[in-house]
Amino acid sequence: MQMFFLQFLNGLQLSMLIFLLAAGLTLIFGLMDILNLAHGAFFTMGAYAGWLVSRMTGSYWAALLIGPLVPFALGALLQSAVLQPLVKRGRSTHLDLALLTFGLLFATAGTVEYFFGSSFYSIPTPAILSGRIAMLGIDYPVYRLFVIGVGLGVALLLSLVIDRTLIGATLRAGVDNREMVTALGININVVFVIVFGCGAALAGFAGVIAAPIMSVYSQMGIGIVVTTFVVVVVGGLGNLKGSFYGALFVGMTDTMAQAYLPEAELFAIYVLLVGMMIFRPQGLFGSTGRVA
Amino acid sequence: MTRHVTIEPVAEQACDSEPARGMDVQRVLVLATCALALLLLPFISSEYVLTLAVEVMIAGVFASGLNVLIGYTGLASAGHAMFFGLGGYGIGIGTAIYGWPLWASVPVTLVCVAAISAVVGAICTRTRGVEFLLITLAFCQMFYGAAVKLRLTNGTDGMAGIPRPDLSWLGLSADGSIVFYGYVALVAVAALLLVARIVHSPFGSVLIAIRENERRAMAMGYAVGAYKIGAFTLSGVVCALAGILQAQYTYFINPDSMSWQSSGEGILMVIIGGADAVMGPFIGAAVFVLVKQGLSLITGEYNLFFGIFFMLVVAFFRGGVVGAFRTLIGKWR
Repeated sequence: MQMFFLQFLNGLQLSMLIFLLAAGLTLIFGLMDILNLAHGAFFTMGAYAGWLVSRMTGSYWAALLIGPLVPFALGALLQSAVLQPLVKRGRSTHLDLALLTFGLLFATAGTVEYFFGSSFYSIPTPAILSGRIAMLGIDYPVYRLFVIGVGLGVALLLSLVIDRTLIGATLRAGVDNREMVTALGININVVFVIVFGCGAALAGFAGVIAAPIMSVYSQMGIGIVVTTFVVVVVGGLGNLKGSFYGALFVGMTDTMAQAYLPEAELFAIYVLLVGMMIFRPQGLFGSTGRVA
Repeated sequence: MTRHVTIEPVAEQACDSEPARGMDVQRVLVLATCALALLLLPFISSEYVLTLAVEVMIAGVFASGLNVLIGYTGLASAGHAMFFGLGGYGIGIGTAIYGWPLWASVPVTLVCVAAISAVVGAICTRTRGVEFLLITLAFCQMFYGAAVKLRLTNGTDGMAGIPRPDLSWLGLSADGSIVFYGYVALVAVAALLLVARIVHSPFGSVLIAIRENERRAMAMGYAVGAYKIGAFTLSGVVCALAGILQAQYTYFINPDSMSWQSSGEGILMVIIGGADAVMGPFIGAAVFVLVKQGLSLITGEYNLFFGIFFMLVVAFFRGGVVGAFRTLIGKWR
């Protein structure tokens, strides 16, 4: 039972980390119809930026605040300087833009290797969050509880912003009818740039959060982003609620498989994916927008 | 919300549906020139050029397998390196672990890959567009993970000593670069002819119909799902064939052959070549291999420059070389 509780917390922690990534991916896709395959690159960038900041200032909190700014700036730049002009020139098929970001994934992995080499780094856990806490018969690392708390907090904040504020209303309107929003006098392109930046920043934020648990290295974004892809397909692409529950499903499945069925570790989340494809190809909360 | 999922038909499809007379002559001329060049190459070129030619042909087979799906069916897969790798691992496992002769390992591998790709295809083709891209990528990562972790495949070290075909009954040794070049050329031409034959058959026309308008193809009574799985399987098998050649070429296979970089290289070759010409993938492969060689001469940062090259091609070079060439001819006339 204690073992199960421990694994449950581990699963929750992984889920929250994946959720931070999936939320950004799905926000961008839901609003702009752009699948950002380079999302893992923003995760990596955030982690490296955080590592640099924490090395210079010695403060984890500074890293957590400043780290995500780098992916924010680059994400906003990507959207405003590359993707938007291409859409304007008629490249609206979102497959094209997805392929472009696939190229970006290579380029950023290469850039990171160029500047930082292929060594492994780590951001030290801040003193206040290090150590363990005893609960229900197990000692659990405080930092991992912190990750769970942050994930739940971000989920709550996002749902509040999207459901209860004017910004959220604009976003929802933008998803439903882009032309109408423009007609109401809102510069949708600026909204796109900001949302792209925020999505990238969320990924970068996840990168800094993950840094004390995972190692920081040039390919760190690849593995986790594939898990994130599984999440958004399971949850329904472009659906925030779906990506939250999808992240829970996938994170739990992955952790429990590693703990109880180590042979199936590699395949567990794909089994979930396959089952989802067979019974609900549009995902948990996806709209039934399939052809025929 | 309706989403357009097709890769834009880059070159006009006219030559596939109603071959004009002039086009036929042109095509025969082009093919004859290629055949002649293939035959003459070993006599006029250096060892280095032959190696490059072998790499181009192997990459070309891989790209034309992928092109069946991307160019003809309009399904962009970001995971076909899994079949490329499975081909190499198949003969590796068959010959090294089970001790089968190569002539048995190759067909067994191809049959197994056909079965695997039919199953994977049946799952993946339930989605389309970017979801399809994501799922194929995820499956590829799964096979990559399996290759890294399983004992059967010897982990990240990979398997060495993949045999080349035994041609001693012809008095030849496939270890020689000219003989191996001839072997690869034969297989590549055979694969190209097979793909060309299939995509120009009624089956291929249905694939094009699915790409152009899936709903209409469905309304006409075609079992769209089955055709998509068929295309997926065909493309998987051709990619596996390329993987077999690659493993024989380097005598070696490791998980890197199934990495997302490897899948990305395939997509890039298809895009460079122009997504729907039969010769396109080979032209794309030639451009890609030469650029890769050039890059490796001037820089060690392969990923960085490859990524930039990839983005530039997607952004500005959508019709590929064949498409650009055709528009050029069109303007000139």
